[in-house]
Amino acid sequence: MTTLTPGSLDELRDAVLDRPGSVRVAGAGTAADWAGTPAPADTVLSTAGLTGIVTHNPGDMTVEVRAGTPFAQLQEELGEHGQRVAVDPARAAEGATLAGLFATADSGPRALQYGSLRDLVIGATIVLADGTVARSGGHVIKNVAGYDLTKILHGAHGTMGVLAQLVLRLHPTPQATATVAVPCDRAGMADLARRVADTPVEPTAIQWHADRLLSLVEGSERGAVSRAQRLVDIVGGELLAPDDATAAWDAHAAAVRARPEGRAVLRFGVIPAALPGVLDGLADAAEVTVSPRTGVATVALPADPDVVAAAHRRVADAGGTSSLRQRPAGAELPAFGPAPASAALLRHVVTSLDPDQRFGRGRLAPWVPLPETTGVSA
Amino acid sequence: MLDAAMVREFTDLLSDNGVITDEVGLRSYECDGLTGFRQVPALVVLPRDAEEVAGAVKLCAKYGMPFVARGAGTGLSGGAMPVADGVVISLQRLRRILEIDVENRRAVLEPGVFNLDISTAAKPHRLYYAPDPSSQQVCTIGGNVAENSGGAHCLKYGFTTNHVLEMEVVLADGSMITLGGPTGEQAGPDLRGLFIGSEGTLGICTKVTVRLLQTPETVRTVLADFPSIEAAGDTVGDIVDAAIIPAAVEMMDSLSMEASEAATGAGLTVDAPAALIIELDGPADEVDAEFEHLTAICERHGATRLHVPTELEERQKVWKGRKAAFAAVGRISPDYIVQDGVVPRTRLAEVLTRIAEMGRDAGLRVANVFHAGDGNLHPLVLYSEAAGEHHAAEQLSTEIAELCVELGGSLSGEHGIGTDKACSMPRMFSADDLAVMHRVRLGFDPDSRCNPGKVFPTPRLCGEKPGPYRPHPLEEAGVIERL
Repeated sequence: MTTLTPGSLDELRDAVLDRPGSVRVAGAGTAADWAGTPAPADTVLSTAGLTGIVTHNPGDMTVEVRAGTPFAQLQEELGEHGQRVAVDPARAAEGATLAGLFATADSGPRALQYGSLRDLVIGATIVLADGTVARSGGHVIKNVAGYDLTKILHGAHGTMGVLAQLVLRLHPTPQATATVAVPCDRAGMADLARRVADTPVEPTAIQWHADRLLSLVEGSERGAVSRAQRLVDIVGGELLAPDDATAAWDAHAAAVRARPEGRAVLRFGVIPAALPGVLDGLADAAEVTVSPRTGVATVALPADPDVVAAAHRRVADAGGTSSLRQRPAGAELPAFGPAPASAALLRHVVTSLDPDQRFGRGRLAPWVPLPETTGVSA
Repeated sequence: MLDAAMVREFTDLLSDNGVITDEVGLRSYECDGLTGFRQVPALVVLPRDAEEVAGAVKLCAKYGMPFVARGAGTGLSGGAMPVADGVVISLQRLRRILEIDVENRRAVLEPGVFNLDISTAAKPHRLYYAPDPSSQQVCTIGGNVAENSGGAHCLKYGFTTNHVLEMEVVLADGSMITLGGPTGEQAGPDLRGLFIGSEGTLGICTKVTVRLLQTPETVRTVLADFPSIEAAGDTVGDIVDAAIIPAAVEMMDSLSMEASEAATGAGLTVDAPAALIIELDGPADEVDAEFEHLTAICERHGATRLHVPTELEERQKVWKGRKAAFAAVGRISPDYIVQDGVVPRTRLAEVLTRIAEMGRDAGLRVANVFHAGDGNLHPLVLYSEAAGEHHAAEQLSTEIAELCVELGGSLSGEHGIGTDKACSMPRMFSADDLAVMHRVRLGFDPDSRCNPGKVFPTPRLCGEKPGPYRPHPLEEAGVIERL
């Protein structure tokens, strides 16, 4: 196995063309054990040499960024201009790259208001297995010309193509934030979260963790605190002091990215009303963090194939989707739930872009099974 | 000549009056809102549910017929224009709101539901559906999915793609699949996001689940006149710099205001060089703080008048002045073409100067109405068919769209590529970019029978000249506006 670290788009394309056989794209490695187990690859393509902002247009609130840029570093640079990418995935703190977060469809508490990176990406440059360099989208927020091709690489776990650059829509950094914490157990979480959502306060994030419901309010200097206070008046709890608020959100993020020894971690989404039932059915679930209004939860489970398969099925029975977010070394665990009817279409799209399945073999298995021939094939 | 056995199969499949074969009936489907492009289809079918849609698509597959899905036919890019010897599959009978799920804030809809009806049904629960294309009274959610429709409020709230959670889709072989899921959480690649905005070329959506948002507590609007387009543009820049994201920021120039005021009496100042309509919404304390800041910015840039409507009715009147602008230019010009390009917001002043020059060179007037917050322009090229200006107007309109690309923008912000702009696509995308999009298309539809001839440039299409603009029957009846 060879590791290549291209330093430019041209070098990336040349690396894809010059190296025969299968390729695994590697960012910071913070999600290497997510989704399907990667098959051994002939070449590892590191994005560590593809870093930095290509162009930042503060007045247009757009930025073009190289794939391997650490997300936290990008946020820091944008912050100097009073702007941000309005997503907050927990593993950004571990050095995760922009393209890594994109390829794994990761998101954080602010997904309630802003969605995930798929909702903020407005263009991309990708390299296909045959060396084709293709661009989609552009540098403007509003744009419906051509297919929104970038979307299929969101959650693709390094299959189909290599992301070289992404163009993102930015938002202003809010002038002020305030956090309200309301003590609440798991049984009461859903109802309380609904009461919070029904207020006119419009929190950016509502998360349950460690027997508290945290609501994040972001806005103007005057508005944020005044709204948070209104929330306390309506649903109770307390307005956290700034240091306590930071500590509460840090603890929440730490729980999301916790790597409990020897356990599997599952992330799933169901309609909010189905959440309590699904959670109650997951015996032995630990390190539970929940976004009760988006219907998304992250839980640690015993690393037993039957337990994990049963959890996937339970989510699927509730109409939801789930994927594996930690696989202890050597464990053979199902990465996804039962294959949906769209899996056949997914295989066709994979074949149309990467007919020999050079990229990311195994990451979407069993929905996209390994090709029959392995090893050098191109 | 149609194969009689084939027609019989469609007739057997579909409920009463589900198949149209007569010349007059077929002719009413010959175009969408872009009336210069016309093509009578071989057959029109009107399924009543998803199973009938799938059955009709299977028959198309069996007989190798291309097909075009059609919602309300209000599109402005010829995306629903029929294909010669092809089938039009109308979704107008699939118009049930299947569920307004208050607790989970979502609505489950058949594709033929009108956009505005979603918000109307959700209103008693203080919920609404955010994307609001100007044609929202008469355009359907299925068409919105195909076009990834936006609207005046998409600066803050995003587009159709940000609000659709899950879709049931019939693929070109008649198989039915579900794309997306009940939440934003995603396992595997985002095929839903690829499908939205694919202009009917990847399949037919037969059921949609959308997010509903809570109705904002407060909405405040200001209509501000400015001494110049530049001053209005700078105001928008400063609003952005102040970390304010308005729900909407619309700009009008004097020509569009002159027309609109004559038509609506909305209270626009006809001799002002430019005006902004800015709307904030959200929690009252937040909106009040930002609104104060906002009006101060307007004043700093020399606003000559600030009109703040306080009653709902007054606010609707201001919006009517904006939304009626397109139809209203009929008062100052016998014919017009609506363009839909996008430039980075910071290049608004530059693009407007260039458009004015190009108009002068072509001897044509151009009125400007646009979504200033996101740089989406809707220049209205005014001309006279009778004076033989049609060709020059078409050319100017195309040049304006291509100028937007040159300035780092896009051919289309919300109307789509369709038939209208397919030939301009190579200005924005390389041959490789387009080839990759086409490869993805073949993954969905290997025979390209699903709305062929749209989005991608073809020699046949790009060799043809469109016919003159003719008002759509719904437009003549005053039901739709060309927005």
